[in-house]
Amino acid sequence: MNAIETSKLTKYYGKSRGIVDLDMAVGEGEIYGFIGPNGAGKSTTIRTLLGLIHLTSGSATVFGKDIVTSGPEIRQEVGYLPSEVFYYDDMRAIDLLRYSASFYDRDVKQTEARARELAERFDLDLKRKIDDLSYGNKKKVGIIQGLAHKPKLIMLDEPTGGLDPLIQQEFFHLLREENAEGATVLFSSHILSEVQKLCDRVAIIKDGSIIRVDEIKTLLETATKRFKLDLVSAPDPSMFTLSGVTDLAISNHSVDFLFHGRLNDMTKLLAGLDLVDLQVIEPDLEEIFLHYYQKEE
Amino acid sequence: MNIFRREMKAHRWNLVFWSLGMVFMVMAGMAKFAAYEQAGQSAAEIMAGLPKGMQVIFGLTGFDLLKASGFYGVLFLYLAVMGAVHAVLLGANLISKEERDRTSEFLFAKPASRHRVITGKLLAGLANVVILNAVTWWSSVYFVGYYGKGESVGHEIALLMVGLLFLQLMFLSIGAVIAGSARKPRFASGRATTVMLVMFVLYYVVNLNEKLDFMKYFTPFKYFDAALVMKDGLDPVFVALSAVIIGASVVGTYRFYSARDLSI
Repeated sequence: MNAIETSKLTKYYGKSRGIVDLDMAVGEGEIYGFIGPNGAGKSTTIRTLLGLIHLTSGSATVFGKDIVTSGPEIRQEVGYLPSEVFYYDDMRAIDLLRYSASFYDRDVKQTEARARELAERFDLDLKRKIDDLSYGNKKKVGIIQGLAHKPKLIMLDEPTGGLDPLIQQEFFHLLREENAEGATVLFSSHILSEVQKLCDRVAIIKDGSIIRVDEIKTLLETATKRFKLDLVSAPDPSMFTLSGVTDLAISNHSVDFLFHGRLNDMTKLLAGLDLVDLQVIEPDLEEIFLHYYQKEE
Repeated sequence: MNIFRREMKAHRWNLVFWSLGMVFMVMAGMAKFAAYEQAGQSAAEIMAGLPKGMQVIFGLTGFDLLKASGFYGVLFLYLAVMGAVHAVLLGANLISKEERDRTSEFLFAKPASRHRVITGKLLAGLANVVILNAVTWWSSVYFVGYYGKGESVGHEIALLMVGLLFLQLMFLSIGAVIAGSARKPRFASGRATTVMLVMFVLYYVVNLNEKLDFMKYFTPFKYFDAALVMKDGLDPVFVALSAVIIGASVVGTYRFYSARDLSI
């Protein structure tokens, strides 16, 4: 059984497009990346799965349960951290975490103990009022309230904003630990290096639809390569009009470009150059992402 | 129950201030009775000599102001307005504040249905208005008894307080349904208060113009008019109409709030 499965899931806000015919399957135990720029439909997908907004058409299940009819049951198993966190300013952090724990079937004391453990790990003073916490510390409260009840599915919508690099690293360690214990993670982000670090598979979303789903490894092994050349003399730019060359940058004796095409054609081109150095590099996810976006356009 | 407890705690100071306000209103109002009573018949004649419009505006019609019960009858209109303002703001605020303060993404990602959330909030609203009503009741009995020098008014106050409770529940549920159906929750409190004020103005319009008597059904302030309640008791038609308005508003709150997307 998949942790999340959607079939032609569609959400319109009046006439504005949210997501259209979105098909997605996230396996249990996976860390699934969900990447796309702002407005592509990542938050809409997550909010629809959580029942915060209602779908327009299509269907979706979480652990086999329908999101329309089984919302509270589904959310019993879900931990959620949104991109921006807002809590009750009059509460202390510990009160908010107790309030959060009171919604779950799991023993409140166990959840509170786990919350205290996580607070210590993230160096968060639970006695302070929410109103007095910095944004980064509020985000820590967000992480703890989302994970203290040991959810089977962790949904993260651009979760790292406001977290300093050390805390981000600790957060990623925590997610890997939760995943090792069986939790499924849906990680939405537009920061591709984060997805690259954490996820097993990734879906690229554009204009409300998923345009590609692949293992991170496969995406990185895509035929697109970055070429960096150092030449004896300044090259003639017209030599690089070969089909499949993009993102071309020529500076003095150096040439930098992405290539997606027949490598034989490229080696013929390279054979005609007076090379000092040649590097063929796997492109990072950012470049692959841009590549898919450009291709779609 | 956790949502109910959370709301009770969140509104505790608000309830304390409103309760103190009600006690002060009753105390200050009835203290004026002591001065008025001392002036005796001459003050009553001055009041009786006021034009009808002025008498309506001050809510003086139909009361013997030389008796503590009559003076309390005049005061009741102001207590009703205070109770209505408290209830309508409370109803609107309870439902709209999660979206207004952007805590809805936290609350509704928890395993609680929207029905459960609304139930917890409406029960907290009910508890708040009942407590405010009880405080008003207690302070009315105490201060009217204190200044009334033995006049028996317990029964009249009880009837008025039941009327006040109906009025509070109506405005609580009206505030809730306005917030529940609002596309922009941050404006819900303002809209709910406007609706209440329009109904209050309508109360005066109906009192000033007998030809508009049929419009009394559109303003809950007319349902429990102190002069009529103290004379004839609660009107079953208005009691039934109040129950219908409360029921329809509560059902509407559940329906509208559950059907719409949360404003995040």
